[in-house]
Amino acid sequence: MTPRPIHPGAWIAWATCAGAVAFVTTDPVYLFLLWAVSWFVYTNHRSDTDTARSFRIFLTGAVVAVVLRTALVFFGTISVANTAFSFLEGLRLATILVIFGTFNAVTDPFGLVRIAPRHFHEPALAAALALSIAPRTVASVGRVREAQRLRGLTVRGARSLPALAVPVLERGMDEAHTLAESMDARGHGRGRRSRYRPQPWTAASTAIAAAAAVAAATFLSASAGGWAVLHPQTAPLVWPAADPALIVATALLAVPGLIRSRRP
Amino acid sequence: MTEALGFDDVTFTYPDGARPALDDVEVSLAEGSFALVVGPTGSGKSTLLRAANGLVPQFTGGTFHGRVSVGGRDTLAHPPRRLADLVAFVPQDPGATFVLDRVEDELAYGMENLGVDPSHMRRRVEETLDLLDLETLRGRSVRTLSGGERQRVAIAAALAAGPSILVLDEPTSQLDPQGAEDVLAALQRLVHDHGMTVLLAEHRLERVAGWVDDAIGVDGGRVAQGPPADVLRKLGAGPPVARIGAIVGWDPVPLTVREARRFAATVRLPTPSPPARNGRGPVLASVRDLVATYGASEALRGLDLDLHEGEVVAVMGRNGAGKSTLLRVLAGVHEPSRGRVLVRREAPRPGADAALCPQEADDLLFHETVEREVRATLVARGETGDPGRWLDALGVAGLAARHPRDLSAGQRLLVAVASVAATDAPLLLLDEPTRGLDPPSKDRLVAFLRASADDGNTVVLATHDVELAAAAATRVVMLAGGEAIADGDPATVLGDSRVFAPQMTRVFGPGWLTTEQVAEALP
Repeated sequence: MTPRPIHPGAWIAWATCAGAVAFVTTDPVYLFLLWAVSWFVYTNHRSDTDTARSFRIFLTGAVVAVVLRTALVFFGTISVANTAFSFLEGLRLATILVIFGTFNAVTDPFGLVRIAPRHFHEPALAAALALSIAPRTVASVGRVREAQRLRGLTVRGARSLPALAVPVLERGMDEAHTLAESMDARGHGRGRRSRYRPQPWTAASTAIAAAAAVAAATFLSASAGGWAVLHPQTAPLVWPAADPALIVATALLAVPGLIRSRRP
Repeated sequence: MTEALGFDDVTFTYPDGARPALDDVEVSLAEGSFALVVGPTGSGKSTLLRAANGLVPQFTGGTFHGRVSVGGRDTLAHPPRRLADLVAFVPQDPGATFVLDRVEDELAYGMENLGVDPSHMRRRVEETLDLLDLETLRGRSVRTLSGGERQRVAIAAALAAGPSILVLDEPTSQLDPQGAEDVLAALQRLVHDHGMTVLLAEHRLERVAGWVDDAIGVDGGRVAQGPPADVLRKLGAGPPVARIGAIVGWDPVPLTVREARRFAATVRLPTPSPPARNGRGPVLASVRDLVATYGASEALRGLDLDLHEGEVVAVMGRNGAGKSTLLRVLAGVHEPSRGRVLVRREAPRPGADAALCPQEADDLLFHETVEREVRATLVARGETGDPGRWLDALGVAGLAARHPRDLSAGQRLLVAVASVAATDAPLLLLDEPTRGLDPPSKDRLVAFLRASADDGNTVVLATHDVELAAAAATRVVMLAGGEAIADGDPATVLGDSRVFAPQMTRVFGPGWLTTEQVAEALP
């Protein structure tokens, strides 16, 4: 059985704190460190579900964000300072995307449903099912495209769109209908619920949440108190600062990576 | 005995239906019966099953007359969720029924809805995992399971809720012979030991006829209930032993190998001559030292294989043995990690050298009529030819003007095969082409595959269906753990197996594969 040492709540804490850290700084040292931390966490925890595959999509989105934000300079005064500033702004946005992508890849939306309070069970389940549609459709598109290719139909361009879209959509509708029937037939919405194997809050979960909280608190105090440089000067461009305390704080976000949940 | 499920004068018409899908249906199932629903493809079996827990008409709409009662509750007065404690339903496409992600959670879902006490729920999940041998899958995501695994998980999820009536639509369509046997044995144990009532639809009568004690024959919406032997005789259906029994005149007609063997002792058959089948031509495709991965695991390990023109090769083996991967490699859409695959000494071009009909045949269909569906394939290779030829070949010419979505699963499968065959590719690959196929449709498919091979093509089918392999194949390749563990003519490979032997082999000994072959040899 897959070990499940980490409570989804701990992941929520981790993602929120890591996101807060990325939000308050444009220093590339910390931001790139956050990329490394995210990658470390991702490789040790990615689940075997379709959502894990969407990590790549977030990564691509992140790179696109950096490029686009930097390219905006070309609509104004082009200078080293402006380019560097735009690049760092883009990098911050990209880092937040990478963190969210990691969170998405290591948690199972249905795991989050399990910890939702009883009154939020229905909306949480609806949200999780909605979230699972995108990766399922991606898988379905791949399958249909291959199936059509194997009968000699190349799915390319607008004219061949029906060959791809019709089976994908019809299957999607059929599956949604079957799922709705199945949920009803299995007693969904009877109003009484019990909970199977509530996920335990483990020591590992505490460690992750606490480490992430310390990291966020350190950065927020630096941001509020101004005891360290969080936004490196770009005019004139100087080498970015790297405060040892903040490096340690960022590294604390790597704690989940030390606790492996992924099968080897 | 108490009635578990009763249909009283039920007539039902779908909202856009021209005639009733269920016509004046009377059914009464006693508690603890193990009942088979049998009938041709598109006859109304699925409608009957779905009416058992009120999905018909509550989810479909339409006109409904009469009364269906489940454990005394009327399905019109109680929505399906209010019957969930009594009746569980496993539809034909098990993958689409999963609500949660992990196997274990999926098993618990129904019980959570019923408010079952957590400690009781925990115990029931463990018992069900053991009952269907799912312990090793408990932590897996349901989206990563193979077809056969999904089917077993869907059955387990239905059972875990502790229903007193279990309704299943083709529950063994994607299971290997041993897996199907295990599932049916588990169901029978629940019927015998716990008085559960089971109602299942299945086309593979050779798998189920020996287990059931009651049968409901469905034909064109009309229904007749009775002992399995009577119902099957009236429908002109039955497993191979019943077909041969009818020819020889055994009375009562046997339904199981055991019953048939008693009669067989009195029949003197000559030494079996190998069935007259097309010979081998030159090599069309060759596979050398093939290693291919599926997900994280190695699906094929160092496979060598030569496929000749004029062969129908059945690739068999348990769920997850690497059959589908082999087909996709042969088709040129799955890159092997080592070794090579050549069709006519070159890398196969998908859709031209090799065409494949996928397990999910619905992935192909996108036109408004069956005729246009097949024409699309012809147009794609620059032909204006007549789709009628392909429709005739698969016996679906009568459906040419129909919308594929309005057809039954078995009819859609035949249309998909026609659309794929219309590529006229020399290597025709079919992945488990049996879901929803009734015996007459299966006979047509067999005739088509044999004719295609006679024309010099090579047909490769991955299948769990031993009777299909016995009837269609000129060669059987048995895969296990990614290696070919047996390769030869069907009589040798199937005759040598305890699990994969067809019924005629079990009754008359090695060398006898099909009822036609035995019937011809009879004195």
